[in-house]
Amino acid sequence: MAGLFGGSALTQARRALLSWLPFIAAIPVLWLVQYFFADQRDWEYAFQNINHIGIAIILAVSLNLVNGLTGQFSIGHAGFMAIGGYVSAVLLMRGPSEDPYRLFFIASIAAGAGAAALAGWLVGKPSLRLRGDYLAIVTLGFGEIIRVVIENTRLFGGAIGLSPIPRYADFTWIWTAAIATILVTKRLRDSTHGRAFLSVREDEVAAEAMGVDTTGYKVRAFVISAGMAGVAGALSGAFEGNLSPQSFTFVRSFEIVAMVVLGGMGSITGSTIAAAVLTLLPEYLRALANLRMVIYSIALVVLMLVRPRGLLGTREVWDLLPWRRDKRVAPRAKAPELSAALIDVRRATIRFGGLTAVSDFSLTVKPRELVALIGPNGAGKTTVFNLLTGVYPPSEGTILVRGRDTRGLAPHDIAHLGLARTFQNIRLFRELTAFDNVRLGCHHLTRESIAASVRKGELAEVEEKWINQRSEELLSVMGLLHRRDDLAKNLPYGEQRRLEIARALATDPKALLLDEPAAGTNQKEKSELMQLIRDIRDRFGVAVVLIEHDMKLVMGVSERILVLDHGVTIAQGLPREIQTNPRVIEAYLGEKYAREHAGQIAAGQVQP
Amino acid sequence: MAEFFQHIIDGISVGAIYALIALGYTMVYGVLKLINFAHGDVFMVGAMIGWYVARWTGESRSPSISGALLVTLASMLVCGCLGFVIERLAYRPLRNSPRLNSLITAIGVSFFLEYGGQYLFGPNPRVFTVLPRHPGLHAGPVSLGYVDVVTVIVSVALMIGLQRIVFHTRIGTAMRAVSFNATVASLMGVNIDRVISFTFVLGSVLAAVAGVLYASKYPSVQPLMGLMPGLKAFVAAVLGGIGNVPGAMLGGLVLGLAEQIVSGYLSSSWRDAVAFGILILVLLVRPTGLLGRGEAEKV
Repeated sequence: MAGLFGGSALTQARRALLSWLPFIAAIPVLWLVQYFFADQRDWEYAFQNINHIGIAIILAVSLNLVNGLTGQFSIGHAGFMAIGGYVSAVLLMRGPSEDPYRLFFIASIAAGAGAAALAGWLVGKPSLRLRGDYLAIVTLGFGEIIRVVIENTRLFGGAIGLSPIPRYADFTWIWTAAIATILVTKRLRDSTHGRAFLSVREDEVAAEAMGVDTTGYKVRAFVISAGMAGVAGALSGAFEGNLSPQSFTFVRSFEIVAMVVLGGMGSITGSTIAAAVLTLLPEYLRALANLRMVIYSIALVVLMLVRPRGLLGTREVWDLLPWRRDKRVAPRAKAPELSAALIDVRRATIRFGGLTAVSDFSLTVKPRELVALIGPNGAGKTTVFNLLTGVYPPSEGTILVRGRDTRGLAPHDIAHLGLARTFQNIRLFRELTAFDNVRLGCHHLTRESIAASVRKGELAEVEEKWINQRSEELLSVMGLLHRRDDLAKNLPYGEQRRLEIARALATDPKALLLDEPAAGTNQKEKSELMQLIRDIRDRFGVAVVLIEHDMKLVMGVSERILVLDHGVTIAQGLPREIQTNPRVIEAYLGEKYAREHAGQIAAGQVQP
Repeated sequence: MAEFFQHIIDGISVGAIYALIALGYTMVYGVLKLINFAHGDVFMVGAMIGWYVARWTGESRSPSISGALLVTLASMLVCGCLGFVIERLAYRPLRNSPRLNSLITAIGVSFFLEYGGQYLFGPNPRVFTVLPRHPGLHAGPVSLGYVDVVTVIVSVALMIGLQRIVFHTRIGTAMRAVSFNATVASLMGVNIDRVISFTFVLGSVLAAVAGVLYASKYPSVQPLMGLMPGLKAFVAAVLGGIGNVPGAMLGGLVLGLAEQIVSGYLSSSWRDAVAFGILILVLLVRPTGLLGRGEAEKV
């Protein structure tokens, strides 16, 4: 990744500015609309609705970042909105009475967004560590606490609320912010960071194995989303001219959730459209005002039963058009790399309760070595992989990867050290394309920050191009280029296995751990796989550790074999030594058989 | 000191109600790994049905013990059916889909009950009297309300009953088996659908009792009354270790006490913040709860 840093600060700034030019050019247009329509008395009611839509869009699109892209579930968005609103309102009400250039207004919005983002960090940091539904409850509880705090704070006007807030936010301000939110979210999603968010949603274990810091990304999504909600709150206060704690209840949060779910979790255009529809609907259903929430809730339940991913799913509106397809980049070859000492496991033991799954296990893997790990079912082979990749910490013993003790490291840290794996029960990101699966593998090799991805910094673009090239190359090595834009879940079984290998190779590993790559494949595919494993070693210069039951494959490909039985290493050596080792045959075929056929075994006529 | 004892007594009484609701959360979570958000609203429906039945039988005008029993039984029956229907229509079709979907559905059902209730019942609180008036017990400055005594006695009796069902009956064994591993349980001949339905019905019946007791304590009923107690009961379940039946009881008591003490010595307006403060603390310090045990995800 060296030598990618191009351009001075000035050129960087110019590039960023250029990429935002269409957006900046849109602001005067908004202002003209404001001048000719929004400020006219006849249009007042229409523009009140249009502005409400703009605020709703900011809220829905930002919540979509957490609930849709990252697959978490926050139902306290109104709380962050309240923080942004109140912080900025308090500043505005105490600020200078004249603010001709709206500089103080901008500062107050920034302060509101910052406060909301900080709150997002405080809430997200402890609760996002956990899996499951806790986040939903914590965010809900947090939203309620915020309300209680506001109602009990004199500074915030207590239960009555704040009024009058200078009404600076008009059509231009609100829609500039709404369009900016959409653009920022879109750029974020299309960057390598966006794929990291998606990988968290699809499969956290696999994402960690690919080097994605899943907790870190959840917190980031949460903080960004909270900050955007803060902007919405600030604008809302400065638009309405007043704020009261009653407008930030659970019901408000729920409306935003309904927008995200209805539009499709992960679809930015979906959220935008749903925000508009659900904002206008109550206006036209005034007669049914009492039934509004009943209708919302029924719609939500029915939608979950019929279309669980929302109306648009993860797609955007234009994906529904038949002629859209991405352009392809021609693949290019990359030179293999060499490296020093790799894996060194010293007397590792792991116990689950009273069960010792693997005991006193030692293994060294040298660069470019092909090692196989065999043994009957339940021998502890996959557990060894889980130990190596940091899914479980060892109860005793040490594991060194490239000379570094992995104790206390998270799986994504170990992936950074150069271990990549596949899973026995394929764990692809099923709802992402083959291409995105591989691109995600490249994620941890990138350097550029989230902010730069949004700004379209030069390095981010160079990196993105490099990732695309590398991913296409890997797909073509694995013979999957024709599947580039297919969803991983739609690939045939054998291709899914190969895609998993491609994804693992994308992390640029020094050692590749393959967990039963031949499972469920036929004879022809097996011999192809044998060749493929050798090719991978030669081309990418990686060591391969293989768990496999197919003896022909194991004997054909591996240079060294290690046999586990009941968590104990019963033999290790060259393939032909293992073939005639009586303890191995006993483990595979049973004690009785081994005793009765001792003669044949000694003569090398029986093979496991 | 008398004030302190008063807070303890009030705390135990509120805590017993939280514990009754928390049991429903924890049992459903145990078998389905689903946070049944609508549970707090089943509790509300229990109170509301009680109000309707009490008006219909004339119980609200001339309260009597037998009348109160009838009201409670009626609301248990209706809530049991409601729990069954909710599971059947809203959760069962989603059993194999992502957890997020079930959670959204649960919130949808919760809102449906709240706002459907508001539509039928009207948004304003109504007075609820089913228990005969009684001065309660007094020991110097400490007073022990009649409702509190009934609440504690009924809750303890129900919890003992539940403990017997879960640990000493065939269906209880089946519940524990499904909670441990549903697939294996079904291979052993356990009818998972029936066990899950039973769990919902059982939880809803307990919530109905809690609803009637809660409404008698404050004496009023309104459509959004389930929201806060429901959330707090969930916190109680997490505090005790979600999926753990004795944990839910312990969690309910601890939460009830903490709340009373904070609102007694600090300010009652901070009362609602206590539960969520505790929740965040538990998640930080001991995510598996007081009595829960953690498990690693199998890869």
